[in-house]
Amino acid sequence: MSELFFLPHWPVQANVIPWYAVLLLVALLAGEAASRLRLPRILGWIIAGIALGPSSFNILDRAALNGLRGVLEIAVGLVLFELGQRLDVRWLRRNPWLLATSVLESSLAFAAIFAVLLFVGAAPLLAATAAAIGIATGPAVVLTLVKQLRAQGQVSERMLALTALNNAYAFLLWSLLFAWLHAEYRGGWLEVAGHPLYLIFGSLALAALLAAVTLALLTALGRRTDAQFVCLIALVVLAVSAATMLKVSVVLTLLAYGTLTRAFDRDRRFVSLDFGRTGQILVMLLFGITAASLDLSLLPAGAAAAAALIAARYAGKAIGVFALARPSGLSLRKASLLSLGLMPMSGVALILARETSDSYPELGPALVTVVLSAIVMLELLGPLLANFAIVHAGEVAEEA
Amino acid sequence: MENLVFGQSAPLTMGVELELQLVNTRDCDLTRGASDLLAVVERKPHPGEIKPEITESMLEMSTSIHTRHDELLVELRQIRDVVLAAADRLNIGVAGGGAHPFQHWSERQIFENPRFKRLSDLYGYLAKQFTIFGQHVHIGCPSGDEALYLMHAMSRYVPHFIALSAASPYYQGVDTAFDSSRLNSVFAFPLSGRAPFQRRWEEFQAYFNRMQGFGIVGSVKDFYWDIRPKPEYGTIEIRVCDTPVTVERAAALAAYAQALARYLLVERPHATGEEVYDVYSYNRFQACRFGLEAEYADPHTQQKSSLREDIVATLNALTVHARELDAEEGMENIADCVNVSGNDARWMRENYAKSRSLPDLVWRQADRWRGEGR
Repeated sequence: MSELFFLPHWPVQANVIPWYAVLLLVALLAGEAASRLRLPRILGWIIAGIALGPSSFNILDRAALNGLRGVLEIAVGLVLFELGQRLDVRWLRRNPWLLATSVLESSLAFAAIFAVLLFVGAAPLLAATAAAIGIATGPAVVLTLVKQLRAQGQVSERMLALTALNNAYAFLLWSLLFAWLHAEYRGGWLEVAGHPLYLIFGSLALAALLAAVTLALLTALGRRTDAQFVCLIALVVLAVSAATMLKVSVVLTLLAYGTLTRAFDRDRRFVSLDFGRTGQILVMLLFGITAASLDLSLLPAGAAAAAALIAARYAGKAIGVFALARPSGLSLRKASLLSLGLMPMSGVALILARETSDSYPELGPALVTVVLSAIVMLELLGPLLANFAIVHAGEVAEEA
Repeated sequence: MENLVFGQSAPLTMGVELELQLVNTRDCDLTRGASDLLAVVERKPHPGEIKPEITESMLEMSTSIHTRHDELLVELRQIRDVVLAAADRLNIGVAGGGAHPFQHWSERQIFENPRFKRLSDLYGYLAKQFTIFGQHVHIGCPSGDEALYLMHAMSRYVPHFIALSAASPYYQGVDTAFDSSRLNSVFAFPLSGRAPFQRRWEEFQAYFNRMQGFGIVGSVKDFYWDIRPKPEYGTIEIRVCDTPVTVERAAALAAYAQALARYLLVERPHATGEEVYDVYSYNRFQACRFGLEAEYADPHTQQKSSLREDIVATLNALTVHARELDAEEGMENIADCVNVSGNDARWMRENYAKSRSLPDLVWRQADRWRGEGR
């Protein structure tokens, strides 16, 4: 054989590590470019993901993306935990209109999406399952924007609170409908009743346990930021694994874990939560990988129906927010911005949509096409709208 | 030249302005919420006034004009409760105290308003560092001349007000060793300190017109003096107090000022001259640094004593006046501060020692502002 032993085999065999690096670098550059155009950095990260992914230049092919998926769970875990932490239970108690707003905007968005999907000819149960997914505002988009802009004010705070709540509702409803699908297509009634109950109460019990353990550990560690940071990263990773192993909901567990950690923290042992640079890297990968996984090929077929879905979803959320703006202490101007801020839809929605379509491939591609097209369109539109909302609310830190 | 007419006000009336801290409920750092809060408050009927201040993290509440301490206190509680009800709906914490213990001034945002923007352009980082929280007490005066007399006679007691109200031991995350670090931030401004010594309103007016002629000031508001006349209201304004941690202390400080004014106007105990200012800066520094443990140099007797002794002696001299004004309850609060519990700076240090956490301290301040906690 004339092959020289010291030359690499062609094509080169790479493990996943270099792909992380490539994605990070491209996302970083695209993010900085976006920021110079006065666009949100995360838009750059998303575009980088789309450009590298199988739908475009295919530098990250499906195999590479699957290899990268491991880090997603941790990133989603951190985002959901932090978002949960931003939800202040005492606020909901003191301002019940805020809780009412979240129920109303979620219900109306659900109803509106459901109606559109029925109109395009989806079976009712499937339409409802998809509409449940549409309730959720993209948690990573909202949280990352608020943090990058160092935004403070009612639009930003309520955007975070409503997002945490509508993600919880979206998941609960979806799990109920998913179980209903089970009954219709497969097993008995014990499954139908047991599955959602197990998901809900299992997730909450796990979250409460984790929160109690966390606070006990923080007491032992004292109020040192660096120690708390390491401790929390480890616990969040553990929480994601535990939720997966116990087959409860990762979304609900992590959100509730964050919220309960704050609610139980009577002595304020928590210094302040900031996953800092490590968190930033994970979130960049999250946006990049999610965007790369988007299937752009569905877009031509689904665009029109998806646009109708997006408009209906916006109308539902906006009416919900406007109707209760005054009693909840929000000016109408800020209400109009807040309803734009609830538009992003991404990560979690994609996971749920894919889980549904994977479990039930026989459900017909029409529905999947519409929903995934809507996710693709909002992946780009959502961050722009939310960014617009925060900026025009005047809630951005001057130097950000 | 503007004619600076000294307005009419009933002698010995009083009014209070308090600057408040707006904090988030997550880590208790200052938060930008004044505009949102004011939008809610505007729609609620309430006594007094609730206004924006220079940054989005501050709010000012002011009372109407009062003659009695108990009525002043009732109104302060009412306004406080209106602010708190609105703040609760928006999840914003409200706290007293002269400075936020760990905020970073670079994070502050100037409230959208032409006057504040102009100040920010002129003073640069000083304007943002000015995120400090004071109590102003207005005392009504029968005439401009009497106002100037009272202003200079009152300057002997400026250290009392500093030590009794001091509530800013922590600043930018450290214990400054001062009981009131807030006043150090005021010093940086060119028009701070004491007013020039003039006895007659025409003299003051001529001085003001000269300063206006240079374009240095536009109104009396541009003087950041410790005590300044406020001709529009017909009052003098004592501006050295930190915003106390409770409204009860705020009302008591106003009552102390009112009783002191009555004592000074009725008894005329000291001859005022430029020499009251000989030891002014020294006494002021002592009070800021050591609070009630400060030394006090008496410009009239030329004796040195402790500030605590001087306040106790003054409280004795004020007894009869406080009785006439029905302000005994306020004097009890002051006497308790001097003799038993100490000022708010001491309370803050004691509470920080319990938890070693400044956010936790702010949390406790917010509880006490609400009238809860100890």
